[in-house]
Amino acid sequence: MANLIYGVWDGKVHDYRQTQAGEQEALVAGLEGFAPDNATKAFIADRGFLIFDRDTNLVEAFSQYMAQAAKESCGRCTPCRVGTQRMRDLLAAYANGTAREACLNDLAVLAEQTTSSSLCGLGQSCAKSLGDALKHFRDEFKAGAGTAEQHSFVYTTAPCVEACPSKIDVPKYIDGVKGGKFDYALGVVMDKYSMAASCGRVCVRLCEAACRRTQAEGSAVGIRMLKRYAADQALLNNRLHLKKSLVQHKQRVAVIGAGPAGITCAYKLLQAGIQVDVYDMHKASGGMASVGIPSYRLPKDVLKAETEDLIREQGGNFFYEQKLGRDFTVDDLFAKGYDAVFLGYGAHKGSLLGVKNEDPSLDGYDSGVDFLLKVHKHVEYGEPFEVKGDVVVVGGGNVAMDCVRSAKRMGAKSVHLIYRRTIDDMPADHEEIVASEHEGIIFHCLTNPSSLVVENGKVVGVELLEMRQTEKDAKGRRNVEAVPGSEHVLKCDLVIAAIGQVVEQDTLKAEEGIERDRWHCITVNPDTLETSRKGVFAGGDCVLGPLTLVNALDHGERAAYAIRDYLLDGSAHITPQRRMQNLLAKNKLFSGECLQTQPVRKERARVPELDAIERIKTFDEVDGVISKEVAYEEATRCLRCYRLYSVVTEKSLKPGQKTSTIAG
Amino acid sequence: MKAYINGKELAFEPNETILDVARKNGVYIPTLCELHDIDHAPGTCRVCLVEVQQGDSTEPQYVTACDTPMADGLKVQTRTPQVMEMRRLQMEMTMADHHQDCASCPRVGNCELLPVANSVGLKQVRFHYTQGWEDLEPDHGKQPIVYDRSRCIRCQRCVAVCRKVQNVDALEMTGWGSTAGVRLKGGSVDASPCITCGQCVMVCPTGALAERDQTDEVLNFLADPEITTVFQMAPAVRVGFGEEFGMPTGTNVEGQIIAALRKIGADIILDTNFAADVVIMEEGTELLGHLKEKKRPTFTSCCPAWINFAEKHYPEILPMLSSTRSPQAVLGSLAKTYLAEKRNIDPKKMRVVSIMPCTAKKEEAARPVLGKNGVPDVDVVLTVREFARLLRREGIDLKEIQPSAYDDPHMSEYTGAGAIFGTTGGVMEAAARTLYYVINGKELEHVEISQLRGFDNVRTANINLGGEFGEIKVALCHGLKGTRDIVEAVKAGKVDFDFIEVMACPGGCVDGGGTLRSKKAYIPLAMKRRETLFNVDRQTKARQSHNNTQVQKLYADYLEAPYSHKSHDLLHTEYCSRPFGVPADMEQAWHELHEQGGDK
Repeated sequence: MANLIYGVWDGKVHDYRQTQAGEQEALVAGLEGFAPDNATKAFIADRGFLIFDRDTNLVEAFSQYMAQAAKESCGRCTPCRVGTQRMRDLLAAYANGTAREACLNDLAVLAEQTTSSSLCGLGQSCAKSLGDALKHFRDEFKAGAGTAEQHSFVYTTAPCVEACPSKIDVPKYIDGVKGGKFDYALGVVMDKYSMAASCGRVCVRLCEAACRRTQAEGSAVGIRMLKRYAADQALLNNRLHLKKSLVQHKQRVAVIGAGPAGITCAYKLLQAGIQVDVYDMHKASGGMASVGIPSYRLPKDVLKAETEDLIREQGGNFFYEQKLGRDFTVDDLFAKGYDAVFLGYGAHKGSLLGVKNEDPSLDGYDSGVDFLLKVHKHVEYGEPFEVKGDVVVVGGGNVAMDCVRSAKRMGAKSVHLIYRRTIDDMPADHEEIVASEHEGIIFHCLTNPSSLVVENGKVVGVELLEMRQTEKDAKGRRNVEAVPGSEHVLKCDLVIAAIGQVVEQDTLKAEEGIERDRWHCITVNPDTLETSRKGVFAGGDCVLGPLTLVNALDHGERAAYAIRDYLLDGSAHITPQRRMQNLLAKNKLFSGECLQTQPVRKERARVPELDAIERIKTFDEVDGVISKEVAYEEATRCLRCYRLYSVVTEKSLKPGQKTSTIAG
Repeated sequence: MKAYINGKELAFEPNETILDVARKNGVYIPTLCELHDIDHAPGTCRVCLVEVQQGDSTEPQYVTACDTPMADGLKVQTRTPQVMEMRRLQMEMTMADHHQDCASCPRVGNCELLPVANSVGLKQVRFHYTQGWEDLEPDHGKQPIVYDRSRCIRCQRCVAVCRKVQNVDALEMTGWGSTAGVRLKGGSVDASPCITCGQCVMVCPTGALAERDQTDEVLNFLADPEITTVFQMAPAVRVGFGEEFGMPTGTNVEGQIIAALRKIGADIILDTNFAADVVIMEEGTELLGHLKEKKRPTFTSCCPAWINFAEKHYPEILPMLSSTRSPQAVLGSLAKTYLAEKRNIDPKKMRVVSIMPCTAKKEEAARPVLGKNGVPDVDVVLTVREFARLLRREGIDLKEIQPSAYDDPHMSEYTGAGAIFGTTGGVMEAAARTLYYVINGKELEHVEISQLRGFDNVRTANINLGGEFGEIKVALCHGLKGTRDIVEAVKAGKVDFDFIEVMACPGGCVDGGGTLRSKKAYIPLAMKRRETLFNVDRQTKARQSHNNTQVQKLYADYLEAPYSHKSHDLLHTEYCSRPFGVPADMEQAWHELHEQGGDK
């Protein structure tokens, strides 16, 4: 079965039914071993279809594919709503012998019409490969072929969905906003994680980077602002309350870390009826989202409402100011009777700059995370903390931006940002960079610290070197190098090293049997998030190193499913959805495709924000919420680029499922 | 920039669609879901297919004209065999899951669907999909507007008009695939922001949205010999009804309606215009009191959708609303008291039927405060559309009937002031005519107050009432979008009006949510109907409410004086806050999410 027998891909016909195919590079890599001990017979996608097994029942395979399309059709536009149903029924009738061959002509016409005239990506893409098959391999459509044992797993997704680590069904929640169903929109997000309003404020928006509206007219759909809009409608009006799961299992799970990963894991476990206790070293939930993201970007009440409050409503418990490695060990947790443990303790240790005279104990020296923690404790709990004089922040990421903007708000006389590359190279969000500039932060790009100037145990300045870009290397990338003799001193009262964080080493002991890599990140199975110790799962920054909020949310959710399966079924397993996501990512199946239609141009909405002169006086939230009218308009910009991917296998992909026809 | 339609070179502007350019140049492309008057092009019906070719590229493409931007050098063909075949298939699919039992449709013979099906040359529908609606329970509720998903073509015009024109935003899109449709947010009128104005019905291209039909109830009253039926027609009805029977737009058919009512057996025929004159006496007196107390502003209270809007959206302004009942309610109340006494009829045996250009009036009539001992003052409200149905059921063609006149000596006379209640500015003008007289002891010289007669959705003016009050500041709103702006401004203290007239429907009652429907147009007949009302005013003997001799007699014989104790009991009302909304239900959202499609 390993070789392609026939198919069409990107319009190119492949036919090896008569001749043996020679050595060929797979059009879609990884199909062969899609699932262990389960042969892949066929693959159907928007760009074409590939048949690997001569016995594949093509009619049945397309019938199942189209059944899923009909089930997914939102029903707004005619050709998709009715066309998919009609195609599904004609295929089924043809398969069971009640329709004559002439119906293949009708099918071809319907496939063409649905493809060329549907409103969104779902209709435009779901009948393309059927059309190709009917055009080039009509003889393979065998009337009355019956329903031989073969299994389709059909997966529906879109570029924005696959770009999101959490695989949030973005077009669907935009549908919710567009249709005036804000709670439904929120429900789509909260099906994955509880932190919708937080994510709607600070997410790095990989979805927007993948949005095809950008290709069409230059600016992505304001996906994040719509998520925030939907979440705020329920959350800020106190309309959102969750009930305890009706099913209550006896199994208990300890979640270590009340950050995005831990909260999400707890949230999903509680929904599955599994008892959860959350431990955290701080005295509030949110983890890095709380102590690391200043409240002018993410207000603490918003964070509390959708972390601690929602977890408690569902029956979860919190144990604050309890630190793993200091107050207890993983062994202690199992000894206490927990059936599984989720580790989501994050990466809270600031990286050193690696310059002369650097010593974290120096007066006037802070790491980015330590500085932000002090700011947080000052703003939130009134703990004394003063920032005076001139502040120098080193780094170009979002943490560096949080540091400069917080320093400004804390009353620094001047705030300088030192970054070794150019402003275009900064990994921070563009909006953050612009906002910092508006707030009067002085940027020193192509500049690097070489030494701290220390007097009487106190930092009084930073020695800086000017950098210059080198010629492009083989990969077309420019590096930077120091300009010899360019040393100069920038006087300052506080230097903040915001170049990154690392995972703390002593949170876990070697004898606890949890494998880690040389950066002290916990080693996990990337699909099930199991660690090397049975019953222990891990996710978020303590696995990934400092990454994004939404990556942590994804880990928390997937770990919860794996823990549920481990506790209730005996072992964690890889879902077919995950297999498909891996396949799509590996083959970059969403890249390089062209737009079918040219949409009418519509400007992206702007999020209202506080004026820079006003906002630097407080830690009040800078971004405002868009109006309902703007939300409706913005939602109409979504092109709903849904695609269906189907893998036909010999055996069902879902454990315990006898005859899988459609996923669901 | 230039492009070609059917070989003809045409200039166009950036961001114009193919449909825009075609329309501008008089080229016909069939459309169904689109409604230009409210700037609505959802692109859902997909029937406006055209063939396009960019440059000399070989393969022609098929695109929908409404949502495809015109491009420089694009060659568009609107009627190639392939295009016609595709449009036909599109309509075939549209009809395939449409409930094609036209006989039972409230819009029988008058929808937008059939003409489009016809225009694309639809000859047969080879397949049918009924599972989306075959199990739907008929709507037996009390809500004045009924939605039937089986007739819905998902054009979302109703959603758009509710959002964009009214800014009420009561509707949401619901369901998936063949069950896709609309519903009130929260599932009911009470849970949603809906104020039952009926604009959704006015734009619906099919019979999916309609008034709750109550013609049967009226026929039952007429058939019951024990019952005395009392009919009233609203000011706007007579100028917006003739079209239904093929008469020119704006024809005044008051006489024909009276004759038709007699023919079907109505016992007493009254005119809501009479009650409008009474309203002016009451509301005018009330306003004068407010002016004296410097209590401002006072909002009018004739429009039931506006009352719903205030009660649901702005309860804090309820104390500013005039307590005077609407003309319909005033007439109902007086009919079952004053008229019953005068004509010696047992009010228990009396049934008051209103013919109204309004869906919200159905709800108004059912308000418990607008009745006595649990019996409503107005028993049934028929919209103009139901009234047309009623006449057809009795075999009456209005065009063939000889006009007649009122004969009730108590409650059918009206003045020009009452007559103009049906159009925006009319209530204000009527009030001004009487207020001027009350304050100055003499009639206003120019009764047609031109500064009130504009047609913008929000207008402001100063009126000189003379005497101690001098100029007062007034505002006139029709359509709730502008009304919301004015109310917000009042709340914020940014404006300082004495008197504000509100009509919830754009255009006022002559284009109310209960009037005859138009096709592919939103309130296109407003100006003609309005002009006829102004002409009715010009032709009346008296043009001021206080000069209505039957009104004078009413006060002399029965009510004593405007704003008397008795008037207060019979002609005034109270309002209450009606908060709406439901908690965010994630379980419901998740259920719906997992119903659709596979698991993710």
